[in-house]
Amino acid sequence: MDSALSLEGVWKRYGRFEAVKDLSFQVEKGTICGFLGPNGAGKTSTLRMVLGLSEPSEGRISVLGATDGRMVRDRIGFLPEERGLYRKMTPVDAIAYFAALKGVPMGEGRRRARALLEEQGLGPSMNKKMKDLSKGMAQKVQLIASIAHQPELVILDEPFSGLDPVNQQGLEAMIRGLAERGATVVFSTHVMQHAERLCRKVVLLAQGRKVFEGTVDAARNQAPRALELEGRIPAEAAAGLPGVASLESQAVDGEEAGVYAHRAALAPDADPQAALKAAFARGLDVRRFEMKQPSLHDAFIVLTGGDR
Amino acid sequence: MRRLFLIARREYFAYTRTVGFWLSMLVLPGFILLGGMLPAYMKNAAPTRNIAIVDLSGQQMGPALKAAMDKNRLEEDADDLHDAALPEAGREKADALEELTRHQGLQAGLERLRQVAPRAAAAWKPSKQSVVVVATPPAAAAAASVAEAERALRPLIDGDGRNSKPLLDGAVILTLQDGEPAGRFWSKGVTDTRAEDAVRDGLIEVVRGQRLRALGVSDDQARRVDTVQPALDVFSTRSGRNEAVGLRDRLPGLVGFAFGMLLWSTIITGASILMNSVMEEKSNRVLEVLLSSASTTEILGGKVLGVAGITATVLGVWTAIGAWGLSTLAAVAPGIVGDFVSVLTQGGLIFYLLAYLVGGYLMYAFLFTAVGAFCETPREAQTLLGPIMIMLSAPIIVLQLAIRTPDMPLVKVLSWVPLFTPFLMPARIPSEPPLWEIAGTMLGMALMAAVMVWIGGKAFRAGALATGKLDWKNVLAAMRGERS
Repeated sequence: MDSALSLEGVWKRYGRFEAVKDLSFQVEKGTICGFLGPNGAGKTSTLRMVLGLSEPSEGRISVLGATDGRMVRDRIGFLPEERGLYRKMTPVDAIAYFAALKGVPMGEGRRRARALLEEQGLGPSMNKKMKDLSKGMAQKVQLIASIAHQPELVILDEPFSGLDPVNQQGLEAMIRGLAERGATVVFSTHVMQHAERLCRKVVLLAQGRKVFEGTVDAARNQAPRALELEGRIPAEAAAGLPGVASLESQAVDGEEAGVYAHRAALAPDADPQAALKAAFARGLDVRRFEMKQPSLHDAFIVLTGGDR
Repeated sequence: MRRLFLIARREYFAYTRTVGFWLSMLVLPGFILLGGMLPAYMKNAAPTRNIAIVDLSGQQMGPALKAAMDKNRLEEDADDLHDAALPEAGREKADALEELTRHQGLQAGLERLRQVAPRAAAAWKPSKQSVVVVATPPAAAAAASVAEAERALRPLIDGDGRNSKPLLDGAVILTLQDGEPAGRFWSKGVTDTRAEDAVRDGLIEVVRGQRLRALGVSDDQARRVDTVQPALDVFSTRSGRNEAVGLRDRLPGLVGFAFGMLLWSTIITGASILMNSVMEEKSNRVLEVLLSSASTTEILGGKVLGVAGITATVLGVWTAIGAWGLSTLAAVAPGIVGDFVSVLTQGGLIFYLLAYLVGGYLMYAFLFTAVGAFCETPREAQTLLGPIMIMLSAPIIVLQLAIRTPDMPLVKVLSWVPLFTPFLMPARIPSEPPLWEIAGTMLGMALMAAVMVWIGGKAFRAGALATGKLDWKNVLAAMRGERS
């Protein structure tokens, strides 16, 4: 598959400070890629280099086949981390203006703006001033402004920050819609649930360095699987089950003395069924048994070393 | 270029579509109009003060004081008639009119004004009398001592404590001291000194006449001495005419000064608009989106062009108002208007002014835009602008010196500093500096403008994405790429 974005050995230095270190990854066309990492991991610095807003100190970047994002800026849509539009403009004017900067004639920009605003349920507010819109509405308008020119690559820097759950869901739907129309979407976030729901691929950064690149499932596999056991099972017996690498135990409220809830982290190659079989074979009083798949959040903690 | 014009268009309409823009644009012409009308309004709007004279001198000093005050008032009217006649009738006839009024009274003066300046006569109105001497109330007139007169006068000046207006605003009790009149002036308030001043001037006139007569000088002789005006005609080799120096010769200096100030305020206002616009875009992150949509050159160029359009609109409206003012003035004083127009067109002053406007605007527009790109709040802008504004006050101070002595060494030297050239050279041009100085300073300004465009562009790009603590050290680090 062709890549829409490719970075090879990219470094960004500000004086002696290294914001991005030897970063390489690729994003295939038509996919949604999550660009994850804790605050200060180098996400915004990387996205700025991709857009051509700042130059890499070292390395090569290819964006939609160009060596500099500025050369293909009309084919890119960008939503910055802290959003804002001209407060005294109406949504239609703002969207048409930014689309015009990307080469869409003003009349066509207005037509697209009205259609997109209607589609997002913002029809009644399209002629209000931006300052009179709610934060959620304004963020939707901002996203529409970044995609009204129908870009091939959409870069969203922390698009979900500050949005309530309903608006987050709406934004997720918009992002899915972009990919369905064939656009490549790269968005940065440090909230893993969004990436888990939206992305096929994620790139994880910590302290300027890439710590993971791959599918969401592959990322999850980086974190240990866990087994949850509940019953009159002593901690030593639970720890002695095959494949258990470590154990956390606590007494269960409202049950008779000696009933515990154990969370056992499994060794990478361990078979959870073997642990269950052994528990029954050893006559342990198992009242609840559950295999827990690690979440992307667990993987994030493991991969970034808890650097949040 | 398409993006540049789009950005310029947005910038232009963002300001010109607001009511505030048009209101603030009318502030300057409004102040000029108000400045011209206010003194006349204040003179006529202040209430007339009624005063009484209580004469305890025993030598008819009261009537003498009243006559002296009437004479002083006539002199004011003679001055007013002179000023009214001057633009239409010229200096000689205006001087003669003033002299005639002093000798023969206001009616004779008015009659002459109708002959020599009929348009001015039709519009002329005597200014309101600020002080009127009224008949002395009987109780005070019957007083035999200062104490009795004061007892009689105080209730008349103070009022009866109710809301009714007091009978008098003030009164003077005249006595003799060493054979000369002396007075005790009473009034209710102490802030309005017009009545007190009129009485003092009248007393000076009375005492002066008394002393001159004692020396054997008649009133007529004294007046003739007072009105001596030696015929001293002033010529200038620079005026190029074999005529005495007049307003026309001094006008270039005044025009240069006025345009220096105008350019200063216009350029700084335009540059400040730019700075605020960039600052707003930086604080709400629109600048990042703009940078991802257009090149730095397009954004900067568009903004500078847009605000240049705003500045041109302001200057255009001011020029239209000025032209209307001049055409109105032309009906009364065609000579002055003709002189003004010839000052602007002779020697290409208007073209120099345009060149200084463009050069100055470019220098400061890019400087202020770069500052705005580093700031998100006015307080941050103050941190960076402080030293620049202190520096910018220098040409304003020096301009005041240039109005009288445009060839002063300090003015000459500072006009060579490119950042000051657009403000100080307009003030120097009327004194006809050598062509090499004009060309040299203009070249310096053009080079500086080019440097500012380059540095401004670099700083704008660095500043637009910069975050964190703001001071000059960090600004320079960001420009070197050592800081995000």
